[in-house]
Amino acid sequence: MMRTLFFLAFLVTISINAQNNAIGHAEKLVFTASYNMSGVLNNIAEVTMETSEAKTSKATLLRLKCTAATYSKWDSFFKIRDLYESYVNPSNLTPYLHNRDVNEGSYNKAMKYTFDTKTNKVKSVQSKKNKPDENRNLTIHGGTKDIVSTIYSLRLIDFKNMAVGTKKTFTILFDWEEMKGQVTYLGKETINTAIGKKECYKLAIGSNQPDVLKGTNSNFLWLTADGNKIPVYGKFKIPVGNGELKIKSVAGLKN
Amino acid sequence: MKQVFITLGLISAILATILSVLPLSNLAIFPAIAALIFGLIAFYLSKKAGYVKKIIQFTFLLTIVALSITIYKAVFTTVEVTNTEDLIIKEEESKQEALEELEGLDLEDINIE
Repeated sequence: MMRTLFFLAFLVTISINAQNNAIGHAEKLVFTASYNMSGVLNNIAEVTMETSEAKTSKATLLRLKCTAATYSKWDSFFKIRDLYESYVNPSNLTPYLHNRDVNEGSYNKAMKYTFDTKTNKVKSVQSKKNKPDENRNLTIHGGTKDIVSTIYSLRLIDFKNMAVGTKKTFTILFDWEEMKGQVTYLGKETINTAIGKKECYKLAIGSNQPDVLKGTNSNFLWLTADGNKIPVYGKFKIPVGNGELKIKSVAGLKN
Repeated sequence: MKQVFITLGLISAILATILSVLPLSNLAIFPAIAALIFGLIAFYLSKKAGYVKKIIQFTFLLTIVALSITIYKAVFTTVEVTNTEDLIIKEEESKQEALEELEGLDLEDINIE
């Protein structure tokens, strides 16, 4: 029993600290986010995932940046300009700094996490419009990542040697709380995308927070079954409806 | 009965026209189809009674206008993101602040291979 537990822990550690052979330092992925309204999908926003180098005097980190912006026709109804970014170790995507700047309609919120990877402590600062900044020091479990580096970390998982039905769990720090996420590998599937017909790894994504992702088998992500493992299509069910994420353009891939 | 279908057809046609000029123009297709169905039933019932009211023709006209706008917008309008200047400035500021913060951290010699 103990041996099995150790083996499982070892497997999880492998997945968390997997080496980065998939994500380059000048990559740009552009997606179209659609929202289902009465059975009709409406393109509402453009989501961009970009990587770049971030040089300090001591080290060169990888900057993972995700932005979401509503299309101009929606701006007068509900304007979204969100920025999520993480500064990570380029070889294993361990986060050092995470910034979240949410600007949705009249709702504004910023959150910053500074990770101390040696002591598993996180210094956080939350800023809200017309409110004083709120500082908190958190203690996290080893391997806990922010939302951006977790999304990118999915691309480090070795699906090639994975049996269909295999589950991987990960812990995400979001809004001062550690929440559990789970990815289930569902096998390969070939789908048509804006960048051509692609053979993909199909994943089911779940969370222990029902207010984030609804259902255990309602959220799916397709990653290309090549060296880059880029996300090309996603189907999500959230509390206010369901939507899709489709790849629009790709540039600067590593492989 | 005829009056009910005329009213439903007119309401659906007006709704389709309103939706077609909004960003939600894709949704106009549902009331437009409903307006066509109600209009056709009203037209059939009116013809059977021997007199077709002008309001039914007006319903069809509104529906055609709504459908034309919806199809035009779906085919010819390209969705684009504008007004991103603030976001770009925010990204730059955020990067500068982050680099300053990272300078103060104890980072081992990490480099991109």
